[in-house]
Amino acid sequence: MNAPLSDREKVLMGMGDARLRKEDARFIQGKGNYVDDIKLPGMVHMDIVRASVAHARIKRINKEAALKIPGVIAVLTADDLKPLKLHWMPTLAGDVQAVLADEKVHFQMQEVAVVIAEDRYSAADGVEAVEVEYEELEAVVDPFEALKPGAPVLREDLAGKTEGAHGKRYHHNHIFTWEAGDKAATDAVFAGAAVTVSQDMHYPRVHPCPLETCGAVASFDPIRGELTTYLTSQAPHIVRTVVSMLSGIPESKVRIVSPDIGGGFGNKVPIYPGYVCAIVASIVLGRPVKWVEDRIENLSSTGFARDYHMTGELAATADGKILALRTNVIADHGAFDACADPSKFPAGMFHICTGSYDIANAYCKVDGVYTNKAPGGVAYRCSFRVTEAVYLVERMVDVLAQKLGMDKAEIRAKNFIKREQFPYHSALGFDYDSGDYQTALDKVLDAVDYKGLRAEQAAKRADPNCPTLMGIGLVTFTEVVGAGPSKICDILGVGMFDSCEIRVHPTGSALARMGTISQGQGHQTTYAQIIATELGISSEIIQVEEGDTSNAPYGLGTYGSRSTPVAGAAIAMAARKIHAKAKKIAAHLMEVSEADLEWEIDRFKVRGDDAKFKTMTQIAWAAYNSPPPGLEPGLEAVHYYDPPNFTFPFGIYLCVVDIDKGTGETKIRRFYALDDCGTRINPMIIEGQIHGGLTEGFAVAMGQLLSFDKQGNIQGNSLMDYFLPTAVETPHWETDHTVTPSPHHPIGAKGVAESPHVGSIPTFTSAMVDAFAHLGVTHFNMPHTAYRVWQQLKKSGMNT
Amino acid sequence: MEVTIEKQYPVAAAMPAAWAVLSDMHALATCMPGAQITEDVDATHFMGSVRVKVGPAVAAFAGTIEILALDAASHTLKMLGKGADKGGSSASMELTAQLLPGEGGHCVLAGHAAVIVNGKFAQFGGRMMNSVSDMILAQFAEVFSQKAQALQASQAAPVDHSAAPHVAADGATAAPATAPAVSAPVVATEFNALGLVWALIKNFFAGLFGKKSGT
Repeated sequence: MNAPLSDREKVLMGMGDARLRKEDARFIQGKGNYVDDIKLPGMVHMDIVRASVAHARIKRINKEAALKIPGVIAVLTADDLKPLKLHWMPTLAGDVQAVLADEKVHFQMQEVAVVIAEDRYSAADGVEAVEVEYEELEAVVDPFEALKPGAPVLREDLAGKTEGAHGKRYHHNHIFTWEAGDKAATDAVFAGAAVTVSQDMHYPRVHPCPLETCGAVASFDPIRGELTTYLTSQAPHIVRTVVSMLSGIPESKVRIVSPDIGGGFGNKVPIYPGYVCAIVASIVLGRPVKWVEDRIENLSSTGFARDYHMTGELAATADGKILALRTNVIADHGAFDACADPSKFPAGMFHICTGSYDIANAYCKVDGVYTNKAPGGVAYRCSFRVTEAVYLVERMVDVLAQKLGMDKAEIRAKNFIKREQFPYHSALGFDYDSGDYQTALDKVLDAVDYKGLRAEQAAKRADPNCPTLMGIGLVTFTEVVGAGPSKICDILGVGMFDSCEIRVHPTGSALARMGTISQGQGHQTTYAQIIATELGISSEIIQVEEGDTSNAPYGLGTYGSRSTPVAGAAIAMAARKIHAKAKKIAAHLMEVSEADLEWEIDRFKVRGDDAKFKTMTQIAWAAYNSPPPGLEPGLEAVHYYDPPNFTFPFGIYLCVVDIDKGTGETKIRRFYALDDCGTRINPMIIEGQIHGGLTEGFAVAMGQLLSFDKQGNIQGNSLMDYFLPTAVETPHWETDHTVTPSPHHPIGAKGVAESPHVGSIPTFTSAMVDAFAHLGVTHFNMPHTAYRVWQQLKKSGMNT
Repeated sequence: MEVTIEKQYPVAAAMPAAWAVLSDMHALATCMPGAQITEDVDATHFMGSVRVKVGPAVAAFAGTIEILALDAASHTLKMLGKGADKGGSSASMELTAQLLPGEGGHCVLAGHAAVIVNGKFAQFGGRMMNSVSDMILAQFAEVFSQKAQALQASQAAPVDHSAAPHVAADGATAAPATAPAVSAPVVATEFNALGLVWALIKNFFAGLFGKKSGT
């Protein structure tokens, strides 16, 4: 039992170990269990009739032909849901959304009716046979048009309501105004500043596009009055609460199961009409009902991301010290405000937009607007609206540097929040936990030979025969993740804590159950590593379960990089409760005082005597079979963790692009990503998450776009148009890290999976614009497709 | 999805015959392959239908046509057509068509069309809209020209087969004219979308190699 310490540590495969993903064995063998894999006896299928136009009154829905199709069981419309009061449902943002279009359609592909049939084919045939007659209305797809005085009224159900969930509505298509910071003080600084810059930019509408689309299998047992629903949800416990509130079924009789999930990226946070209809259909029919949407439905109707029209402004001294930031945003939320944000923050954490910089004065204002587009505004691989905020500030710092003729790296270094300034209170109200930006920046600039790159760029610019434009992008970003402290963060009134229950079995293995749900993050691997280090049990014999509300403790789910910052902390705290009890048992077993014991990897030993110890395995057996007198048997604990603050991961990203002057094709020559996520739990999983996030960032910056024509027809809602990079298009990634632990987190971890998405997008734009900077270009909007870049080349006289 | 098309097509007939076809909604509608007038509501309002065949699937558009202006002096027709199919697509077209004098006693059909398409066609076919509209109009103009030519021939010589060699001498139109010119041109009862796609692909490649497309 006295193996060397390093061997004992290795066996644990605890924190810091690049342990292989436990999930992969089943995934690579095709043995995952996704919603569409679930088949229940007597199960029927649902398909959705969707609006062909973006804005119209429904004159008539004729079900007759559909009902005649063999296999079709029922066709449900809003009128059928009305008696149950389920034709409208609340959204996460305090608005209401039509479950099935009630008299009016508000966006193309909106849910109008559902067809339930014995098999999937009959359901699809039924959908084709349902006749819907529309009286078309003028569609509004531009939020600026929507706010004009004579604009069509989109939400007639809100007629006369001048007060929304987030305060005053000043126009019939206006949703909310949200502000942060001191406007008067900021305006005063701008009025007296030596240098000011302003830039309009549009962060276009994109979609997370997880490989697995959304779906549900709802099964209501009419005898027991119990409802079980398998669902593609990133937050199953909140879904259970909402389903119970809507249906009137007690929460104890509602079971929501999120099985394996094929990617979420924020798309699987909201509650969609398809889920509700499947549940209603199951209750009405008393049979299990399956609904799984196709790719086009997923891209057209479920939660989109971004669509922020932003104006950024900076005020600075002549030598580049930033004095103030001001920003104004028109946020296109689509037809219903179904944005997924903590209730009190209709623009999410957008007020992180002062970034990594010490900016004394700031003011930001966001106006939400209705348009005839799909609802959403989900956090696509980012904490709520943090991607937009980081994009804004990083673009603005570049614009300022250009105006002053300063280098991008130099202006950033000049304005960084210094290491000794942490904890740092930002002008817009955040308390940054920790950071060391300068060390990280120096590391990246050295690694890529920044000076050499700039020299190469200067030489290429001087050579009129050079076939390419070379651009260097640099971003030094800070995120805010891990929502969040329940005194300010809640969803539908439920505080944003998270939870963990750990049971250590008599033979020393353990089971942990969590309120979160992995969608590819590798929780079964990494959570076990935290317990392994905390309790000295090998992660190989620690089972992690999550996603089933009937056996997991209540939690708010996985999104906004909150699993490690919040649930990871809950794990450590639950483990520490067990640790404390184990210590009592160890002291009892060795007949010494607790004060004489010290913890060493997997055991308590008597201080200074390596021969006298009890391993956690021995303690576990004793906990059940010979506990100390007065101590209850068993070795388990539950912890609900309400974080005292957010965490603030950061990164320094650098990108080099070469743009073909003739075709506009861009080659990503180099991408160097340094991330600091605090304490690192599994370096291999971090690497994988960063690769994934960078690839999604590349997708957004270089190709993804949900566009609409003037009539509200969605253009490009299939993978023929919507850019999903494969190994063919994806550039090579170089990764690096520094470690600046979070002082308030039990293990110092900050969360990582979203940083590469948030940080890389402005880096690509920074590089693309940099390629044109010597021609006086300060900004152009994403996506940087070859065609759009070619147009920019023409405009700049580079291609005639 | 909105597309504006401005095009001119040669018509192999003189002004009177061409105007006779243009001003007769029944004759005009059948220039569109697969289209027909199903009901005359009044002198300026009609109900019509278009059948579009894509492989084995047939979509039927039903709709209305309204004549906004019909000016014999300037040989101009202005009309508005609207239609929808049950599968969730709808389209409208505001068309101004004018006959202009052409070469050799023939005339030219000048069209200005503003087409708006909504629904599935607009979602999936967006990028093809311009080319598809071009192709459809080219086919339409082709049939129109044949009809006007046939009408002119039948008016000139009701049962005169000698018209055939005259047309054949024209070279370009020799092939279709080998049939007796008096018989009305054969118009497909369904618009064949697969054929259209094939033509589009051909034109696309022809364009790549610098050849002029058929229009």
